[in-house]
This record gives sequence, structure tokens and C-alpha cells, in this order.
Amino acid sequence: MTVSTERIQDRAATVTRRRALALTSVFGLLGAGVVAGLSNLLFFRPRVTYGEPSRFRIGKPEAFPLGTRLPMTRQRVTIIRTAAGIAAISNTCTHLGCVVATTDVGFACPCHGSRFDPDGSVLGGPAPRPLSWFELSLSPNGEVEVDTSKPVPQGSYLKV
Amino acid sequence: MTTSTNPGFVTNLLQLPRNAWRSLFRNPLPSSDLGRSQTSFSNFFLHIHPVKTHVNTLRPTYTLGLGMAALSLFVVLVITGMLLMFYYVPSVEQAHNRMLDLRGTVAFGSLLRNMHRWSAHGMVAVVFLHLCRVFFTGSYKAPREFNWVLGVVLLLLTFFLSFTGYLLPWDQLAYWAITVGTAIAGYAPFVGEQMRFVLLGDRIVGQEALIRFYVLHVAVLPAVLTTLIAVHFWRIRKDGGLSRPEDSNFPESQPAYPQAIAAKLEGLAPLAKTQKTKTFGVLGMVRGPFSKIGNTPDNTVYSWPNLFLGELFCFAVTVLGVLVVSLLFAAPLEAPADPTHPPNPSKAPWYFLGLQEMVSYSAFWGGIGIPTLMVLGLILLPYLDRSPKGVGVWFSRERLLAVTLFILFVLTNLVLIIIGTFFRGPNWSLVLPW
Repeated sequence: MTVSTERIQDRAATVTRRRALALTSVFGLLGAGVVAGLSNLLFFRPRVTYGEPSRFRIGKPEAFPLGTRLPMTRQRVTIIRTAAGIAAISNTCTHLGCVVATTDVGFACPCHGSRFDPDGSVLGGPAPRPLSWFELSLSPNGEVEVDTSKPVPQGSYLKV
Repeated sequence: MTTSTNPGFVTNLLQLPRNAWRSLFRNPLPSSDLGRSQTSFSNFFLHIHPVKTHVNTLRPTYTLGLGMAALSLFVVLVITGMLLMFYYVPSVEQAHNRMLDLRGTVAFGSLLRNMHRWSAHGMVAVVFLHLCRVFFTGSYKAPREFNWVLGVVLLLLTFFLSFTGYLLPWDQLAYWAITVGTAIAGYAPFVGEQMRFVLLGDRIVGQEALIRFYVLHVAVLPAVLTTLIAVHFWRIRKDGGLSRPEDSNFPESQPAYPQAIAAKLEGLAPLAKTQKTKTFGVLGMVRGPFSKIGNTPDNTVYSWPNLFLGELFCFAVTVLGVLVVSLLFAAPLEAPADPTHPPNPSKAPWYFLGLQEMVSYSAFWGGIGIPTLMVLGLILLPYLDRSPKGVGVWFSRERLLAVTLFILFVLTNLVLIIIGTFFRGPNWSLVLPW
């Protein structure tokens, strides 16, 4: 019994075709998987948040006379007014995210005992960084707007 | 062959219960070795086990039943969890009220919640103890390396499942434990803050975090865990059953071969004594070119009833333990979550308190560096310690160094957790618990 060359070539052609289909499928699915994975990263990172807005207006500058230290518990910032201007200091402890309380000498975290001076610099405790300062701007209607998504260097005041 | 006649409708009706029963259970309860050997073939739920089990596997002092106890707790958690889902609403307005309803108005609500809570804590502890057992008996060594890796992954998943469930009651304990716990994750270099933001869906713990943790807790993680548990069990069988001492296959009382054949094989390689030259069908082969039939020295017993009864007993004891604890101790429920007033001190769940204790010394090393090294060390362990000695024996003297190091590792974690749990008071200062 002989096998014709034609048949062998047929067979070779079939195997190549099968191989091509398999490779296309495998790499196609791999590519789709990578794209899907990356898309999921975007999907899970919300573009808007539904909790407290990161930008909010706190009122006209005149509402904050010299020497003001006003903790806003819901927004987790403390508004301070000095001769240099107005500033917003974060109330979120840089250690493990607890809310710091305002004290006579600055801020103190009730969770793990970090202490901060009135500018938010670390005085003691486990906190690794000073409290953040947030960017302030004057909105068109003359009110001061805080943006807690934009940290600024310590000592950045909004001149008023 | 006689031609069968239709017995008639009335007869069919009369025989219906018996015929229905027989169609459901094809074989009667086994009364012979043949019947016992068929249990694994004829029953879907029993075919998880081989027909015969090595006697070492059945020694309670060898396994302590910890793997089975972990599975039992997972079963209890799935059942009670599904029941709790019927009343729970993952919303910041309703979640805490639903907890109060479970306690006040839902029949058996408190019991179910207690069972779920205590089983969850128990599962974390039992899975870790199971890991210790596997280490101290050297069971992670070849060919079981990958099943150890799977086990470590299962431990991490158990942590994550427990952690995501921790938030759901939406009380002060839950809220600040998750705030602190996710803040630890935020210390990871480069990706930490992003990871925390994606996990919480917001900058602080709120409604987004609640729904995310809920979906992870009731759908994603249980599905992943169930799949990996199945693979974990499958690999036990493919790796040749539970580990055992090397010589336990060749008890002198039960020679693999009759003396006559053994005498003829004298002088050949030791292995050849246990192998016939004839091969059997595919069913007879599990590993290697030789059939196991008649070739393995028979130090095994039928899985039915020996193994199944052992497991049933383990399951019963676990359920009993959960029930007793749940009837005696109520799961804690504090005041509703108040994002503006953290309790003093705020603590992560107990199994992360070792981390939190380390974080209070160094944020990066305590929260990320050391835990990563610990997990990496655990995963790589079977590939680093490849000495085949001391498998199947508790605290083998041949593994003195490894055993000592692991005991130190366990004790360090335990001491840190105990300090974090009992000796840390307001402002995270050292206090005496009494």
C-alpha cells in the first residue's frame, strides 16, 4: 500500500492550517485578555467619586477674620487665617488615615498618638509626614474654593 | 431471556417509591469490600476520595484534622453568609440598621450572624494552623511544592475575605478598622495610594468602599476561593495523597510480595521488588509505567467508611464548636460608623494587628516590606528547602534548623498580634490589659 504524495501534502496543509488557527486563537485571546485587563484597571478607577466632593466653597474671605482656626469635620480640613492669608490644612492623619483633632498646640491624632504643630509639622508619634496643605483659589463669585485633590507645599497661603 | 411485560399502572404506582429510591442510589450501602471499593466510582460526591486511603492519613495526631476543619468552617460560612444576604443591604444608610434588625427582629438572626462572625475568625486561625502543621511535618517537600504555594494563596484569600467582610456591619469598629487597614496598604511604594483609591473607590471609606467590599466579599472572592480549594484537593490526590514517612509504605508485617517471589527478585534493585513487569490498563496506572494494582504494598484501608467517617466526625466537631461559641458569645456591634470621630485607639482586625504594631515603628517596613518578605518567603520555601529528609514526621530532628526558624517566625507574629490586641491602649501607648 502506498500513500500518494498528494495525500501527504494535503495532510501537511491541514496541519499548517490547524496550527495557524490555533496560533491565531491563542494570541488573539491573549491580546484580548491583556486589553481587557488594562481596561479593567480604568474601569475600577472611578472618574467621579460619589462621596464628599474634593472641591468645595467655604465662603467669602471676609468670613475668616485674622486668627481663625476652623475645623470642618465633614470635609476633613481646617481653615486657618493668618497675616499671610488663608490656608486649608488636611485633618487626615498621615499615619493611618484617622481624623486628627484640633488642640491648643496644633493637631493630635486620637488613633495612634501622632502630634502636629499648628502648621501640621510632626511634633511626635508615628506619623511619617506633616499634614497636607490644599490648594485654595478664589471662585468667580468671590468665594474661597478648596481643592483637596491638589496638595500644595506647606506655607502656601491664598493672599486676600 | 423472557419477554418482560408491562406490570401495569397500579403496580408501577405501588413500586414508585422503591424504584425512585433505586434510581437515585444505584448501590445499596456497601457490605462487602467490592461494594466499599465502588463507593468512589458510583457517587459524585464521594469520588473526591480514592477507593483506598493510607493508614497514616487517618491518624488524627498526624493531620489534627485541620484541613478538614478549615473546609468545614468555609461550608458554615457559605451557608450562613447566603442566609444573611437575604436581609443585608450594602448601603451606608441601611447597613447598620439591618444589623440591628438581625439582632432584634429576624428569627435566628443573631445566631446566624454570630456563627458567621466566629467562623470567619476561626477560619483565619485554622487555615494558619493548617499551614503550621504542613510545615512541621515537612509536607511541602517534593512532589507537594505547588500545593503548598496554593495553600499560601488560600491563606491570603482567607485574610482578604475576612477583611472585606469586616466592613459590612458599618459600625465604628468596621469603619475605622478598614480605614486603618487600607491605610497600611497605602504605604506600598509607587502604587500604594492608587491601590487604596481603587479598592475604596474614593479617597475615604464611604458608600463606594462598602459596595466594592460587598461584591468582593459575596461574589468574587468566594468564587476564586472555591475554585482554588478544588485545585488544592485535586492536587492532594495527584501528589499521591497526604505526606507520610518514607518507610510507611513497607511495613515488615505486610510484605509487598509473597516470600517466594521476593526470593527470586533477590539481588535486583530494591525498587524492582515492588514492580511487576506486566502493565495494566490505563485505569490501573496513576503515575509511572507500572500499575499500582498488586504492586503497592497494602498499607491502605477502604476510604469508605474509614476516611469518610473521620471527615464526618471532624465536620461535626467543627460545627458543634461554632454553635457552642455562637450561643455563648455575641458578635460585637458598636455604634454606627461616624467618619468624623475615630475611636481611640483605632485598631485593624486582629490578624492584621501584628502589621499595625510593626507600622507603629516603621510605616514602610512594617506595612509593606516585612509582610511582602514573609509572603515571598512562604511561597518560595518549598523551592529553597529541597532536602527530602524528615517528611511525614512532626518536628523531625533532621529538620532542626527549619523547624526552629519557623517556630520563631510563628512566635514573632503571635507576640506582635498579642501586643497589638491587648497591650495597646489610647494613643497606641503601652497599657496593661488587666
